[in-house]
Amino acid sequence: MTGKIAVIIVGCALFATAAQAKDHPGKEEILKDGYQGPKTCEACHPGKAKEFLGTVHWKHASKIDHVDNINPDEEHGMKDRIYTMCNGNDIVNNLKEVPPNALGKTKFTGCNTCHPGDHTSDVGSTGPQAEQAIDCLICHSSKYDFSKRKPVKDKDGKVVMTQDRSTEAAANIGRPTIKNCMVCHEAAGGGAMIKRGFSMTKEAEVHVTKGIICVDCHKVKNHKFPTGRDPNNWAHDGIYMTCTGECHSATPHTDADYNRHTAKIACQTCHIPKTGGAFSKDFTKWEKQSNGFYEPSTLKREVNETAPVYAWYNLTVKNTPQFIGPKGSRSDGKSKIYPFKIFQGKAYFNKKNGQLLSMDFAPPIANGDSLAGVASAAKILGIKDYEPVPGWQTIYFGSNHQVSPKNKALSCANCHALNGVLNFKELGYNSKEVEKLTNPELYFEKLLKLQQENE
Amino acid sequence: MRKIFSIVMIMALMLFTSLAVVKTASAEELKMTGTITKIELAADGKSATAVLKDSKTGASVTITITDDLTLDKFKDKRIVEGDEIRTKYEKSGDVNTSKMFKKTAGC
Ligand code: HEC
Ligand code: HEC
Ligand code: HEC
Ligand code: HEC
Ligand code: HEC
Ligand code: HEC
Ligand code: HEC
Repeated sequence: MTGKIAVIIVGCALFATAAQAKDHPGKEEILKDGYQGPKTCEACHPGKAKEFLGTVHWKHASKIDHVDNINPDEEHGMKDRIYTMCNGNDIVNNLKEVPPNALGKTKFTGCNTCHPGDHTSDVGSTGPQAEQAIDCLICHSSKYDFSKRKPVKDKDGKVVMTQDRSTEAAANIGRPTIKNCMVCHEAAGGGAMIKRGFSMTKEAEVHVTKGIICVDCHKVKNHKFPTGRDPNNWAHDGIYMTCTGECHSATPHTDADYNRHTAKIACQTCHIPKTGGAFSKDFTKWEKQSNGFYEPSTLKREVNETAPVYAWYNLTVKNTPQFIGPKGSRSDGKSKIYPFKIFQGKAYFNKKNGQLLSMDFAPPIANGDSLAGVASAAKILGIKDYEPVPGWQTIYFGSNHQVSPKNKALSCANCHALNGVLNFKELGYNSKEVEKLTNPELYFEKLLKLQQENE
Repeated sequence: MRKIFSIVMIMALMLFTSLAVVKTASAEELKMTGTITKIELAADGKSATAVLKDSKTGASVTITITDDLTLDKFKDKRIVEGDEIRTKYEKSGDVNTSKMFKKTAGC
């Protein structure tokens, strides 16, 4: 009991020092002269705005060389990709007002609401005007008033994103917190927890209990964000990261039995035993909501509610209209077994060339007419020759957060028992090997000893 | 002295949580989608009530929110009056306690 209390007190003390980070040196200046946007920051941090325009967070795209069937000289990302988690992109779903629904109500919709610009300076824009349109405070302020950030029509009837540019918000600057990042990341994929069941709370991610936040792992330099190799997160700032490197070694366990596995099994496989979020959507069928608007019908799950799918992954991606997911095999010498969050989505394919079509969501949001959405998107993209036929696509998302406490990590019997989580046969082991890999001989003595110690 | 105080606090907290568990056992869980007509934060910032107008029936329902993530969204106005919310809550006597409180969003 006393031990526990001590831990709680120490924990609080740590938390308190973390929370008392010292004031930003620019505070006095900003309070005195007010905030005029990025140029205020640039008085002391020259070049930051221009630098930001070159990153994925501004461009929603980058060159990509690990994915099949795309030109490595072109840039792709949320700007122009088409898949069935969100069957559109920044181009066809450019921020706009939807036509009135049956109740006469209208609203704004568009993928680029998750862009730190003002929509006049939009995804990928450049030049001095774009530099001054950046919302630095959305990531850096701890006093941002989010009711001031919303799509509205300006006096010329153009849809713009407003920002909180108050002196109050600008005077409270620091490193981005979990909350700053989650403004956009929480609702990726069409609402909170939809795409991956992504949650950065103490309950959902063990690192948060140690006070570790997004930017402690994602060590951002000059606004280049390191990222991993999720097969459905293509765009990158040219810096890759994984669990090992600065934070952990490839053999972090005192128990050699676990270290022996890390050559063939990714850390995530044992340490992120569950995934979550929506597992299927149908964009051909929109459901009417009580407010008169429609939404793509979606089968949802909470954070950590779904068993992942395990597959060999060599960090390159198979990309076809029906499938976007990991490439790799047991024998290529490069792959490891990774956990994935699997998703299946239904949308329209072009019968003429087999390609997946995209959809402008404005028409179906208003009246449920998904084919009108396809027609509108085709018009925006200049596609004339198409014949929409419904079909399914399977996509694999990486499962790289929601690390569980170590006592919930997969242990010997979770994999080597007959009802273990891995399907050894599908993973390419022959029947003789499977017999060996599912023989209690592998772990019996060890687990018995552990059990005795814990009794 | 400080230590004793924290022990008392922990005891109180434990008692409170065990009571809370007993209480929820008899509650029923309900769902609704509605527009917020009023948000009121408690002075200590540890709870809030939101009045929602049910999009289906037009009835007003008052919901008590205690989870930190949602409270934080009230404080920095990520959720404001006029927003449409999808909620799951537990009804126990006159009190509706939120179990989920999310802004509705298309894709
Ligand atoms: C009057 C000068 C001044 C102004 C104006 C100013 N800063 Fe700073 N800022 C500093 C100094 C000095 C530091 C500390 C040295 C460093 O890291 O470069 C700093 C540090 C920072 C840091 C690092 C904080 C940390 O805790 O690691 C960030 C982020 C930052 N500033 C952002 C901004 C933003 C955004 C603006 C505009 C709203 C801004 N600054 C305006 C002077 C200024
Ligand atoms: C609430 C913010 C938000 C909105 C709105 C949003 N996205 Fe995204 N999207 C993200 C984030 C954050 C990521 C990257 C992280 C991830 O995948 O979880 C992302 C990634 C993507 C990717 C993968 C990009 C790549 O580099 O491979 C696609 C495709 C995508 N979004 C499509 C869409 C489409 C289509 C829409 C609109 C119909 C949309 N998104 C709306 C936040 C958003
Ligand atoms: C998408 C989120 C995001 C936006 C928008 C953003 N930043 Fe940053 N910025 C970061 C992150 C993350 C770091 C690294 C913080 C760390 O780890 O200490 C950073 C670091 C900084 C630093 C300190 C380190 C350095 O590189 O000098 C400054 C200064 C800064 N940002 C200024 C700005 C300014 C000015 C703007 C607007 C033009 C801006 N930021 C917009 C995320 C953002
Ligand atoms: C204004 C919305 C927004 C904010 C705020 C934001 N992100 Fe993102 N982020 C996105 C979108 C959208 C994408 C996907 C773009 C794409 O792939 O085309 C993305 C992609 C990423 C990626 C993968 C691509 C890359 O650049 O490596 C990482 C990692 C990431 N974000 C981390 C963060 C962190 C950490 C923070 C907080 C400092 C943050 N983001 C804040 C919208 C945002
Ligand atoms: C404990 C460290 C850690 C923390 C905390 C963390 N990340 Fe990550 N994140 C990673 C690692 C490691 C990867 C890449 C793993 C790989 O692909 O091997 C990753 C991948 C990503 C990606 C690419 C898509 C994906 O899910 O794989 C995005 C986007 C991202 N992180 C955003 C965030 C944001 C936003 C936060 C905070 C809300 C955050 N991360 C907190 C370690 C972390
Ligand atoms: C085959 C499954 C497996 C793999 C693969 C695996 N781990 Fe572990 N790991 C475990 C288990 C089970 C525990 C808890 C065991 C224990 O406490 O003795 C653990 C414990 C840990 C701990 C806590 C150690 C401590 O002493 O508190 C860390 C850190 C860790 N692993 C990191 C990693 C990293 C990084 C990787 C990838 C290089 C990895 N693990 C790969 C199963 C695995
Ligand atoms: C995530 C699932 C997983 C966990 C947890 C796991 N293993 Fe394994 N284990 C495997 C896989 C897959 C292989 C085959 C690796 C390869 O192809 O080299 C393997 C191989 C082995 C082998 C070598 C068998 C042979 O004949 O080549 C032994 C011994 C073994 N594991 C024992 C253990 C013990 C003991 C534990 C607990 C400390 C454990 N494993 C935990 C998946 C797991």
